[in-house]
Amino acid sequence: MSILGRVVATERRPNTPHEFHFWTALDSPVGIGTIVRVEGLQPVNGHIPRVYGVVTEGFGYTDLESPLHDVLGHDGIPDDVAPTRRTEIRLYTAAVLRHVPEEPLQPVGMGTVFLASDEDVATALRMDSYLKAGAHTGIPVGLYRAGATKSPVYLDADFLVGPEAAHLNISGVSGLATKTSAVEWLLASIFAHFPAKKGRVAAVCFNVKGPDLCFLDQPASKLEDADLALYDELGVPSEPFRDVHYYAPYTARGYALNTLRSNEALEHNVHPLTWGLREVLQYAEVLLNKDDVDAKADALIDFITERVVNQDFTDPMLTGAHRVQSFGDLGRWFSELLRGMEGKNAESWRTHHVATIRKVRNRLTNISTRCRGLVTDDGTVSDLPFGQFADRAVYVVDVANLEEDAQDLIFARVVSQLREHLEKRTLGVEHVIVFVDELNKYAPSDGPDTYVRKMLLDIAERGRYLGLVLFAAQQFRSQVHRRVVGNSGTALFGRMDPDELATPGYATLAPATRTKLSTLEKGQLMVRHPHFAQPVFVRFPRPAVLSGREGVERFPQAEEPTLDAAITRSLRTLDRAVTLDWVQDTIALADEDEVLRARNRTLQAKPDDVRAYFRAQLKRRVQGETVPNRTRPALKTAPVDDPYGF
Amino acid sequence: MRDTLRGLRAIAAAAPAVGMVTCGVGGSSLEIAPVDAEPPRLEAAAPIEGDALVARMVPGEIVAGFAAFLDGIQTSKPAAYVRSGVPLVHGTVAAVIRERTARTLATWHGAPVVERRLYAPADLVGAELVDHLGAAGLSLVDTLDGKADTGARHPQELLALARTAVQRAREQAEIKLAEAWCLSERRPLYIDGGISGSGAAAKSAYAVGVVKSHKTLYASSGAVTVVTSLPKGARTTAFEIRSPRRTTVASWYLRLRDATGREPLFGLVRVEIASSAFTVAHADLVSRWILAERAPLSLPDKRWSTMAYGIRDCEEYLRAIA
Repeated sequence: MSILGRVVATERRPNTPHEFHFWTALDSPVGIGTIVRVEGLQPVNGHIPRVYGVVTEGFGYTDLESPLHDVLGHDGIPDDVAPTRRTEIRLYTAAVLRHVPEEPLQPVGMGTVFLASDEDVATALRMDSYLKAGAHTGIPVGLYRAGATKSPVYLDADFLVGPEAAHLNISGVSGLATKTSAVEWLLASIFAHFPAKKGRVAAVCFNVKGPDLCFLDQPASKLEDADLALYDELGVPSEPFRDVHYYAPYTARGYALNTLRSNEALEHNVHPLTWGLREVLQYAEVLLNKDDVDAKADALIDFITERVVNQDFTDPMLTGAHRVQSFGDLGRWFSELLRGMEGKNAESWRTHHVATIRKVRNRLTNISTRCRGLVTDDGTVSDLPFGQFADRAVYVVDVANLEEDAQDLIFARVVSQLREHLEKRTLGVEHVIVFVDELNKYAPSDGPDTYVRKMLLDIAERGRYLGLVLFAAQQFRSQVHRRVVGNSGTALFGRMDPDELATPGYATLAPATRTKLSTLEKGQLMVRHPHFAQPVFVRFPRPAVLSGREGVERFPQAEEPTLDAAITRSLRTLDRAVTLDWVQDTIALADEDEVLRARNRTLQAKPDDVRAYFRAQLKRRVQGETVPNRTRPALKTAPVDDPYGF
Repeated sequence: MRDTLRGLRAIAAAAPAVGMVTCGVGGSSLEIAPVDAEPPRLEAAAPIEGDALVARMVPGEIVAGFAAFLDGIQTSKPAAYVRSGVPLVHGTVAAVIRERTARTLATWHGAPVVERRLYAPADLVGAELVDHLGAAGLSLVDTLDGKADTGARHPQELLALARTAVQRAREQAEIKLAEAWCLSERRPLYIDGGISGSGAAAKSAYAVGVVKSHKTLYASSGAVTVVTSLPKGARTTAFEIRSPRRTTVASWYLRLRDATGREPLFGLVRVEIASSAFTVAHADLVSRWILAERAPLSLPDKRWSTMAYGIRDCEEYLRAIA
């Protein structure tokens, strides 16, 4: 390999153990982010030192002392070409990635500079430690390119998914699809390369906006040759995810699922997400405002959760036994309790003041209204398959069209359930990657200390021991809680907003690196990883899945169906023999709530005989009978000759 | 210089009898020390273009024509003193041709001439020290040119002798390169300074000497005004410079820059070419080539008004390596 440049150091610009300078020819293929190798000239302890570095800054200047001199030299005429070019220099500053040998750690000495080869890149980024045969834990994150060098860059699975370090944070401006694309690509890479001996891995993705993650199981409309080459070079199949399951609550009307993936052609793996009282009450804290719910109210909620829900509850204040299993039951329980207190003119019940009881009733019963579609009055539960998670499967929870409260509730409960199951080793997989976009909304650096933020902090700080890994994305990293981003072992940066780059969190980056970050092309990332002493720039391919924008064009959202059509579509996911006519006949006499309840119970039970089960859920009704209009004979006829009947 | 000093210190330690005391590396260069300036003078020269020196505008389009530039540098510093203050001067001379290809300058044939030597009067430093220097591989140039001289001399006089010897060495290095060019190339070479000292270059049609200093002004008293009032882009008619020890060359003055409001010699150069190559048309062509070298400016060099950028490049290059 030919010499690219030479190391230089001056008193004003000295080399240090972590930074050095070198010059190159004007036409060298060096740029910001290029990895170089320095071959030392002077042996240290008998070894010629080798230093690997990544270019972080570049300077170009001539022997001009003042721009005015050039103006004078050209008589002020810009297009006047001088016969000789001024002496010009390309001077680069590189941050040290690695010294070989590592000790003694000395300032970088004079030497010749080479463009890093494939092998050099692996050594420079310390990937050699985890790319060994038999102990390969590398997950390709992208391709490093400089000149003729094309080197795959790998992340260490032990530091990406745990247990050594974990979590990934990705930042980038909105609208370039970098964040979502990068996560889709990286999940595909993890699924392709995660070592089997490290256990099974699945992903739970929260789709928080638009159709971003709604078509992960559909192939991309078109992959360029360059993308296919990248897939090939990085050893990842260019195909959509094979095992994807979608979960979404119902719309407020309850007919259809509240998701942009509502096209009938894609319904086979879209499941309802509905919870009842028991599921919600555990996370009431998420929905109840701290200012609203004081200690007294909190105590009453705890009492209801522990002593009332899901058990036969009797009390002198109540007329009979109550078994509260749904929001409907809870409403009735509250009504009877308050009636009883009024009847007895009681101001408190079991130390709870009537005002507190009224307040808690309002707040709790209101949840089913605020989270309509997610929370069912009748207690029907349709949930993620906790306990039966499959290896290399993606579970997408679509919360894009939900109110903030409902989003928070879903996030809190799903993550808690994942955590509980991982703790007990009963989830079905050993590692779960949770992808959350818009992290600055869920874990902001300022604002109130919400339940969701506490939960994210908990995952960030302790999740890696459990196998619960957070992949989070946001536009403004500076607006995310420091402990969340600080605990992310790996960080990816797409094109960044210049204002964001001006915040103190980016002060460690050289100005040229920041400039490059603000102008990154689609498909380029800057990667920070515990093994890499400095961030490196890589390219990754366009995801092999259909983008959200293209997906909604190819699979338009279905119209809000009629009740008959909605029931038909839901039941047909279990039994293709269900027809609209059959549904219309079956539900003709039932009211809407009853029909929806029957549908929910059928979907939850997944019975063998769908139609029979569904019909059985509807109230039994006595069929009306038409009585013919008969002429009844008189009981006694009067004698013709006896007008009085005697 | 460091290697030379190391050698001298070793000699001083090994042979205290020679009474040598070495200097540090930080001593000041003899080139910046004041010298007794030779007084400026006028010298009449024989016109070869017309009968008298007159001004004429350089006709035609200004185009770049030089293929390369030649210049040299010298530095000399006292390295040691022996006995009654006799200096041993360390002199470095270097010369280079920077060839222009596609507007970019690079060293011709890949290597400059660089010579590092000690300069001292051999007779005055003594045979013993000369032997020691030879044994240590330090080359000594006798500033007395081999003449026997055991008389006492003023140390500054000896320093001036050394400086002159270094200057001669530099001129020789330049001549060597200029002659090499003229022997192998058929393209014009811009040489900083006169060419009459070089036999081969002074006779070559491809060597052009450009003189920036004008201590001797080749004009009769009546023609001085022609030179000092030469407008920008004009030249004088040519004249011949003859000297018993030098080759006769054709020469003329050329004003590179507007001197309005400045001293009369601002932007004024004197051009030398081989007498045999002189024609009016060739003088105009060479003048156009020189005028083309006004850009880029060789600032921040103080001699920028008369110095071509290619010459500055030679000097910067030599300063970097020598």
